[in-house]
Amino acid sequence: MPAAISAIANVLIGGIFHAAVLFLVAAGLQLVFGVQKIVNLACGSFYALGAYFGITLVNFGLGAGLPDWTLLPLLVLAGLLMVVIGPPIERLLRAVYDRDESFQLLLTFALVLMFQDIFRLVWGANPRSLNNVHLVYGKWTVGDFSVPVYNLLVIGAALLTAFLIGLFLKHTTFGRLLRATAENRAMAEALGVNVRAVYAAVFTLGTLLGTLGGALVVPTAAASLDMAVEFVIEAFAVVVIGGLGSMPGALAGAGLVGLIRAGALVLYPEFEILAIYLIVIGVLLLKPSGLFGKPAA
Amino acid sequence: MKLSRRALLTSLAAAGAGVTAPGVFAPAVAQAKPCRIGILAPRSGIAASAGESGLRATQWAVEKFNVGGGIAGRKIELVIEEETNPKDTIERFQKLVQQEKVDCVQGIVSTGVGLALGPVAEEARALTIYWDGTTQDGVDEKLPNPKYLFRSTDNECEAVMSSLLAIKHWKGQFKTIAGINPDYSYGRNNMAAFVALLKRFSIEHEVVTEQWPKVGTMELTSHVAALKAAKPDLIFSSLLFADLPVFMKQAHAAELTKGTKLVFPAAGWQHTLMKKDFTPEGMIFGHNTLYFDNPKATALQREFVAWYADKFKDYPNWEADRAYFAIASYKDAVENAAKAKGASWPAIDDVIGALEGSSVESLGGKGSWRKDHIADQTFVQGFSTHANKYDFVTLDPARIETMYSTELQKPAGTNFWDWLKMAKFQI
Repeated sequence: MPAAISAIANVLIGGIFHAAVLFLVAAGLQLVFGVQKIVNLACGSFYALGAYFGITLVNFGLGAGLPDWTLLPLLVLAGLLMVVIGPPIERLLRAVYDRDESFQLLLTFALVLMFQDIFRLVWGANPRSLNNVHLVYGKWTVGDFSVPVYNLLVIGAALLTAFLIGLFLKHTTFGRLLRATAENRAMAEALGVNVRAVYAAVFTLGTLLGTLGGALVVPTAAASLDMAVEFVIEAFAVVVIGGLGSMPGALAGAGLVGLIRAGALVLYPEFEILAIYLIVIGVLLLKPSGLFGKPAA
Repeated sequence: MKLSRRALLTSLAAAGAGVTAPGVFAPAVAQAKPCRIGILAPRSGIAASAGESGLRATQWAVEKFNVGGGIAGRKIELVIEEETNPKDTIERFQKLVQQEKVDCVQGIVSTGVGLALGPVAEEARALTIYWDGTTQDGVDEKLPNPKYLFRSTDNECEAVMSSLLAIKHWKGQFKTIAGINPDYSYGRNNMAAFVALLKRFSIEHEVVTEQWPKVGTMELTSHVAALKAAKPDLIFSSLLFADLPVFMKQAHAAELTKGTKLVFPAAGWQHTLMKKDFTPEGMIFGHNTLYFDNPKATALQREFVAWYADKFKDYPNWEADRAYFAIASYKDAVENAAKAKGASWPAIDDVIGALEGSSVESLGGKGSWRKDHIADQTFVQGFSTHANKYDFVTLDPARIETMYSTELQKPAGTNFWDWLKMAKFQI
């Protein structure tokens, strides 16, 4: 592969990988807002929880003699196990469902801070990371182009997640109930939909997206006390671009942010943040509901 | 009792003075009363691990000093508060001084907080010793010749030392250079100092890219791709938070580190996370003022590192040294001032006078205070190696370099960039 093509491929794959990470964080945020109309800042904490617990489970599993290739199943298991925190938190949020958005923001932000203290208590203040175990799946190298296969698996996981959520929402009965509740909660309730159960299920699914995302990404990064806040801010850019509550919007927004950022870092690194938020401002001005969002009634 | 207006005002003034002027700064306090030291250290956020290391060293020092009688016969008592943003930290500082009536405040890792707190400490006339914060805006001193405040070495010391090592060992072996540094004054000044020193020593070079990730960015694959596209011979990076091992891991996975010279002046803040799996040998690796595995370590350092490893199953970074230096130099100054006063507890001015120009043995080596209240300390850097018993890199024992900060930081009243052009560096 010619050097210039390799360089472009490296930049593109870097951008797509970042987009995949962003999508995994933003997907939970989108789903919960789409149905429950709650801006859940704590989705970043679920992501961090998945990352921390993923490290613990992988260290335990590999330390107990499991082969390195079990990394991915262990991480998926970590994400699935940590979903247990979803239902009790959803129960807590019921107190603010019918209150002003500022209460919801305050409560979910309080959760972010509380989770940070819990992480420090359980895992300590030092960042936690795994060794290079994710390279057990090898690297794909062509000339100067080189990418760990694990990164491609994360990209695949993000795409699969988007596909499965789309399938679930459009082609299952429960998915239809979710969409009905999202469209008109009162009408759905009047028609016999157990909205409380729908909310619990949606929030749990949103939690799963976060914990699974954190667990899958952590082998390439590290778990730290601040990671919850770091990705939530960028995830908001994604949802504004894609449209609040729209899953295709989350995918498109994440892709756009990831690729724009990657391009800016090569062409003019000082524009890394500026480039993203110029797009956000442009979308807000030209299509306030986002690329895939529905205009407010 | 009938109270006249004048008597009432006098009483209120006296009470007010008691509140605003910390009693601990008054001379000749009863020996039985503990010496209270207020600590302001980060316990969450990006600097939490540094704060933790510093706190542990302070607690170790207090236990050790208290066994030996405390400070001038008074047992030490710590009052710990959290360092967060400048506004909240200033409020906690005022609480320590006014309500807790501590004898001395120590801590502060962030220069952003240190810069804001400096004038407050002066206004409160409270003896304050920073661990790692400065009162520089960029590289310009904003609080020259303070009376009550003592602050750490310049942030650029480690970059100057790494740059000198790169020039000494790799001159003629690189031409294209790239940087990935945290996007705030520390990262920008360090990179600029490196480039300035290359110019100073007439090293032909071309900066092919400069990356400025936000502090604490945990996903750096796009930065790595941009660096790789620029094909640098050498990468200079003063990343120092949790983003550092992440960068190294992602750079290794993308084969960026293969054949590229690496200059990392502040890597020692995350040293136990710099795993051999992804951190190459032969990179210039800065441990600042404490290299835990220094073969030339003093008995004091060995004792501390052994305690730390035994108690926490971990190895300390340089913040432990900064914290120990703060409390040890305070103890030394109080005791020297007390001796000069015939064993009575010294006044704050006497302690300040004793601190100026004093030297103590800190964990990482000698430390001293300049007359302008800026610290001088011993810096350790070298080349990374995998030949050790740990799962992370250490320094090659044959290639460890030690420099005192008198060779690395600008003298009082000097402009940093002018000093870089004129200073006599020993390479």
